Amino acid sequence: MKVALLSESPADEAALRLIAEGVLGQPVEAVQPPLRARGWPSVAQVLPVILRHLHFRTDCDGLIVTADADDTVVHTEMHERPGYFHPGCRLCELRAIVRQTLKHLPPAQGRVRLNTAVGMAVPAVEAWYLCGRDESVTEAAWIAGRENGAPPYTRRDLKQRVYGTIHPSLPFEVQRAEEAMLRHRGDFRRMEFDFPGGFGALVADLKRWRLAPTG
Amino acid sequence: MIASIDFTNFKILRSARIELGPFNLIIGPNGSGKTSVLLALQRLRQFAARPPVYGKPPANRRGECGALHFRFAAPFADIEACLECEPDGSGRALYVEGTGELPPRWAKLVARLTTLRVVALDQAALARPSPAGAPILLGDDGTNLPAALHRLQREEPETHMRIESEFRRILPEYRSVGVEVSSDGTRKLVAEIEGESRRLGADELSQGTLVLLGLLVLTQVRPLPAILCLEEIDRGIHPRLLREIRDLLYRMSYPEDGAEPAQILTTTHSPYLLDLFREQLEEVIIAQKRGSEATFERLSDRADLREAIGNASLGDLWYSGILGGVPGEF
Repeated sequence: MKVALLSESPADEAALRLIAEGVLGQPVEAVQPPLRARGWPSVAQVLPVILRHLHFRTDCDGLIVTADADDTVVHTEMHERPGYFHPGCRLCELRAIVRQTLKHLPPAQGRVRLNTAVGMAVPAVEAWYLCGRDESVTEAAWIAGRENGAPPYTRRDLKQRVYGTIHPSLPFEVQRAEEAMLRHRGDFRRMEFDFPGGFGALVADLKRWRLAPTG
Repeated sequence: MIASIDFTNFKILRSARIELGPFNLIIGPNGSGKTSVLLALQRLRQFAARPPVYGKPPANRRGECGALHFRFAAPFADIEACLECEPDGSGRALYVEGTGELPPRWAKLVARLTTLRVVALDQAALARPSPAGAPILLGDDGTNLPAALHRLQREEPETHMRIESEFRRILPEYRSVGVEVSSDGTRKLVAEIEGESRRLGADELSQGTLVLLGLLVLTQVRPLPAILCLEEIDRGIHPRLLREIRDLLYRMSYPEDGAEPAQILTTTHSPYLLDLFREQLEEVIIAQKRGSEATFERLSDRADLREAIGNASLGDLWYSGILGGVPGEF
């Protein structure tokens, strides 16, 4: 399956590929050259152009896009209600961009529409890497801490816990990302449980790919 | 001036063509052939100064040597020049074809081609004092900047004033910039900061400050070179000043004083500089690298791009990878 992975670094991309392969149950070939964004708001700005590019100019089966939530509103079950859109939630914003862009596109490259999956790491992707190793790192803990005015950890803390340093090299980041995802052996239920908004939404989107293949 | 160059086995460029306009910003990953384009032009200047061989080049000896094929813009559109190259990229012989009275027309073209400059401004060279008797023209790496400025100060005070006032407009923290001549005739750059009495020497000026001064000299001195190639024009320049740098180059490419324009070729790795060309896609060329081969594509040739950009910045789109011209990853 040919999939475009829009992320901020090769480490994120390595993790996304393993997640996609685990959920979709088949090998994933990443579209070349790799797609990259220069953080938020670059992701939101380039997403419409990337969607059109992939739809009209490539034969890829789908796009997976993730970003870091940083200190923004966490995507929750309430946001999943039909027609609901939270203006402070980055996942809601990316989904709205995807919806708005794709709904006007005519069929192309033998498919009606491009599959898409959107995820949001809360507050950063290193939180996902700690799943199963550090029980204090969850979306619920992050939300509760922020509501109490005392976030349980910072993005810097998460880096330190994952890499043992806040200045990891890129190859080491890739290594840690792959190790973290391979630890789940393709079964991401624990990650869905600990990160239901940002990761659960990504997996739910990917599962719909399997149920509704393109064409 | 130069309409296109066809490359055959020249450096990394196995078989590639680049079409050139009045202003050309070349972007792409390292090793994608950007510098090879500038080198090809340098070779042309070098061989244009020698008597050419009029006529067709001999058939390539089974690919043992490379070739650079140059076509020119009007009024020289019928002339073609082919530089046969050694495997290491050095020139071997220049063959010139065309219609009508070719030798006198080629001589006219050569008069322009020999003004071609490939400039890579270097901080150390720009800051170096000019000894007595040093050339009065700015060198390709920026050497002789004090001598060039001193000549302008003495012989073209209006030009010197324009340079200084532009310098102060772009970097308002400076009160003045000029040249100090010592008793042995050595000329040194000196600058004064607003509100300070101490004079700064060239070694106290930043890379960006020196590059800007070098560019101002290139921009303001007349006649302009027919072709000006500049490597990594964003080097040492704050992102907010890139607009000024672009405008300086535009003033050479589209001079407002009726001067003969310079064709500009410049390279960058800065997405911030690329952002400034959102409305001028025809001026941006992407060098693509595929394995050991490279190709060139003008952004305006991407039919859907102008409409597709939407609210995105061109720099972000380049960075995203959908335009190509990005490095491979492990």
